[in-house]
Amino acid sequence: MWSKTKSLFLSRVLTIAMIGLLCLLLFFIPTIAEWYDAVSDSGGILGDRDVFIPMCVILYMGEAVAINAMKELLILLGNINKGEVFIERNTRCLRAISWMCMSGGILMTVLALWRNIFIFAGFFCVMFGLIMRVLKNVFEKAVEIKSENDFTI
Amino acid sequence: MPIIVNLDVMMAKRKMSSNELAEKIEITPANLSVLKTGKAKAIRFSTLEKICEVLDCQPGDILEWSNEK
Repeated sequence: MWSKTKSLFLSRVLTIAMIGLLCLLLFFIPTIAEWYDAVSDSGGILGDRDVFIPMCVILYMGEAVAINAMKELLILLGNINKGEVFIERNTRCLRAISWMCMSGGILMTVLALWRNIFIFAGFFCVMFGLIMRVLKNVFEKAVEIKSENDFTI
Repeated sequence: MPIIVNLDVMMAKRKMSSNELAEKIEITPANLSVLKTGKAKAIRFSTLEKICEVLDCQPGDILEWSNEK
């Protein structure tokens, strides 16, 4: 039977798996960049230039951002698992995740200088970051309400 | 904080301990401590009513407004 505990467990397992996958991907970044450079033909603002080096640099930076976001997500899930939902630390996690998404968006936009298609990835990253930021604001307010409720005798 | 809780003074006047008062007004000693130290953000009318009943006093004897911040 499916339960909330199992759902939370699945989320944590998937997050850990994603961190593992991201770590594994670190070793294949040059291969991925080389493959993409070979198959992509459309250029960006800078013209139809070689995308191998910029893609490697941006993917390495993106990996750091993504692993950090996953780490924050894992902390958030851990706190929820402990029954500590509306706490200041969780708001900080959501804020960090939001900034990581924004950073990812900026990185993708920079990559769009070489290949136009990445502007869409950048747009979606920024959009997701914005949604996370609104969630963070909701959480912040909920923490405030909970604190007020806890101190009502 | 402009609202001062004078619960300690009333308890001393009635010679009542914190644990005894907490038990009589049916709140935990930890919550009573929050109230006494002025950390509480609000007080329910039902709690205030019980405190006044047990300590035989008026709400004004427990709560005081001060202009100083």
